[in-house]
Amino acid sequence: MKNRIRVLRAEHEMTQEQLAELVGVTRNTIISIEKDKYCPSLKLGFRIARIFNVDINDVFTYEDDKDGPASEDE
Amino acid sequence: MKRTTYLAASLIVASMVAAMVGWSMAAGNFLVVVIAIPLGIIVVLACRAHVDVVMADERETRIRSKAALRTLEIITIGGAIAAVILYSYVVSVPLAPVITGKLVIHDDSRQSMTITEYQPGSVPGPGTLVRSTTIDDLNSMNESEAMTYCTYVREGFRENEERGLAGLTLGFTLAVMLAVFGAFYLYYGRKY
Repeated sequence: MKNRIRVLRAEHEMTQEQLAELVGVTRNTIISIEKDKYCPSLKLGFRIARIFNVDINDVFTYEDDKDGPASEDE
Repeated sequence: MKRTTYLAASLIVASMVAAMVGWSMAAGNFLVVVIAIPLGIIVVLACRAHVDVVMADERETRIRSKAALRTLEIITIGGAIAAVILYSYVVSVPLAPVITGKLVIHDDSRQSMTITEYQPGSVPGPGTLVRSTTIDDLNSMNESEAMTYCTYVREGFRENEERGLAGLTLGFTLAVMLAVFGAFYLYYGRKY
């Protein structure tokens, strides 16, 4: 799962800490999502999209090759 | 309240509760335990509710869940192996000490007996000797000889019995842990 959170944050001049506070998670979670190390829940995904006022598809991109059934446990 | 303040407050409350429980147990006043523990929990939860920053989010929950599951797997497998090994000290003949008794009938019809303990799984011999005692006259043994006679075998097996008890305790703890896990698994399985 690829995401554009870093770009959207830069566009909105928002820090990781600020975004984390707005969506109710820790800064570490935002860092992990940006690094594609953690796949957020749908709920968090929608919350992030709402903060940037964009569609969820504009924030997250599902990649079929990478996101196989086993990718969650890796 | 900051996260560090909350952690410090929790530590202080936990220390105070532990001290109060310790004191009450020593004093035999069990009412303090009944009051102190729930009170401590309430104080910690109240502090937690006043923490400004996010204490745990979905990523934290997932990390904890995975860490708990891995811990459970490792503890279950390792603990089961350890429990079996420890309990085998009670039932295994090679792991038990070799105890022999030699009865000698003397010319004056006096019967003496030598009880000897050898190292577990060894062939009785001077090299494997652990300890030995002789009761000079079985028919008129004194108090200390009688005590020695009664407790000798028990003493020899005490270490093995202690290991067996540790194994049983470990096995029981694992069973309880798995039962609790199973109960929560079923509960959350129905919930979600």
